Amino acid sequence: MPSPTSSWVASAQAVFTKDWRCELRSRYALNAIALFAVTTLVVTSAALGPAGTNKSLAINVLPAMLWLILLFAAAAGLPRAFVHEEESHTAIALRLAAPPSALFVGKLAFGVSLLLAIEALVAPLYLAVMSLEVASPGLLVIALLGGGYGLAAGSVLIAALASQARGRSTLFSVLAFPVLMPLLLLAIELTRNAVAGDAAGPALPQLLLYDGSVTIAGLMLFPAVWNP
Amino acid sequence: MSSVSLAFDGLRRRFGRVRALEPASGRVAAGETLVVTGANGSGKSTLLRCLAGLLAPDAGTIEHLEAGSTLSPSERRARIGFVAPDLAFYDELSAGENLEFFAKLRGLPVARAGELLDRVGLPADRAAGALSSGMRQRLRWAWALLARPRALLLDEPFQNLDAEGEGTVRSLLGEHLESGGLAILASPIGLEVSGAVSHLELGR
Repeated sequence: MPSPTSSWVASAQAVFTKDWRCELRSRYALNAIALFAVTTLVVTSAALGPAGTNKSLAINVLPAMLWLILLFAAAAGLPRAFVHEEESHTAIALRLAAPPSALFVGKLAFGVSLLLAIEALVAPLYLAVMSLEVASPGLLVIALLGGGYGLAAGSVLIAALASQARGRSTLFSVLAFPVLMPLLLLAIELTRNAVAGDAAGPALPQLLLYDGSVTIAGLMLFPAVWNP
Repeated sequence: MSSVSLAFDGLRRRFGRVRALEPASGRVAAGETLVVTGANGSGKSTLLRCLAGLLAPDAGTIEHLEAGSTLSPSERRARIGFVAPDLAFYDELSAGENLEFFAKLRGLPVARAGELLDRVGLPADRAAGALSSGMRQRLRWAWALLARPRALLLDEPFQNLDAEGEGTVRSLLGEHLESGGLAILASPIGLEVSGAVSHLELGR
């Protein structure tokens, strides 16, 4: 007889595996995200050229541009986490079979892994096309990991809340602004510090605090939102 | 095998201004079947969703007893078997992968998925998105029986099934009742079910 903890972990793992399996077969979110990321990269590089050679642009503008590209790429795919379950009526079977917190964690793990994969693709390309030199690469990696986790966690939480409403896409946009804005400001600040070679400063603990808060809020809110 | 009973009293549900379910009451015990009939829109599906814990009723009480304990709504969701026309599965996964996924979610051995697919006569490797409506109904039955529930809530349970399919699921239903389970069936027309049967007609 498996313990409740191992059973809960197995449930979350099953959701994560199922989401990746379905995604790799349908490629709906992957195609939307890749198309958006590549298009914005091409447009940005065509408009600005190798802007990284200009020190002022490199520090003040390019970090924000990187996070805007990541934000919109995430917005193209992550809201589907729960909306698709509702629209395809698979949510009924999930409600009856899955512990809500395990479902949330499985969806969160899928969203985080998807976003980190996007970052692994987009960030090196972005640095290359913008000729952007990063003085503290380690800090940039931390910013991408912490910011990527927060962006995915915030998006999955909002998707869970919005999926229960009628005007899902409108509600997602309305909720995304206040929830994701602090995260983006912190991630941009940390990326700017990485490019300039400055210390992480207070942005790093604040970013980690944000990540923890969104995760805990999701675990607490989701069961109440998901079940009647 | 633990004893089971399901009783509901004065259940009512509105969707905005629409009265989807007028006060409904009933009771079904181990080995018994309650057949709920009524015209389209009379609240049969809403009643079953309330009993399954998928909808919160506006008023009324539900008492689902298993082994002497009253189940909470979350326990009810985990313990019942549910078949409904809009219960869907993942089109990208095969019938076997779908059932195995839900078996893992519920902490059940995945071999149970294969057993049930054999019983309902479904090929495990056929993509759920490529199943006919009758085959989907067989998959719903297999899914509903996965965790060996003591209570089955069946909305239009024989819909789209051919004669052989209906015979198979009737046989599964018979085994469920003989083993001390209970069932509530909802249909716009009366259904013939063997064993101890009571009736509830919903109307406006």
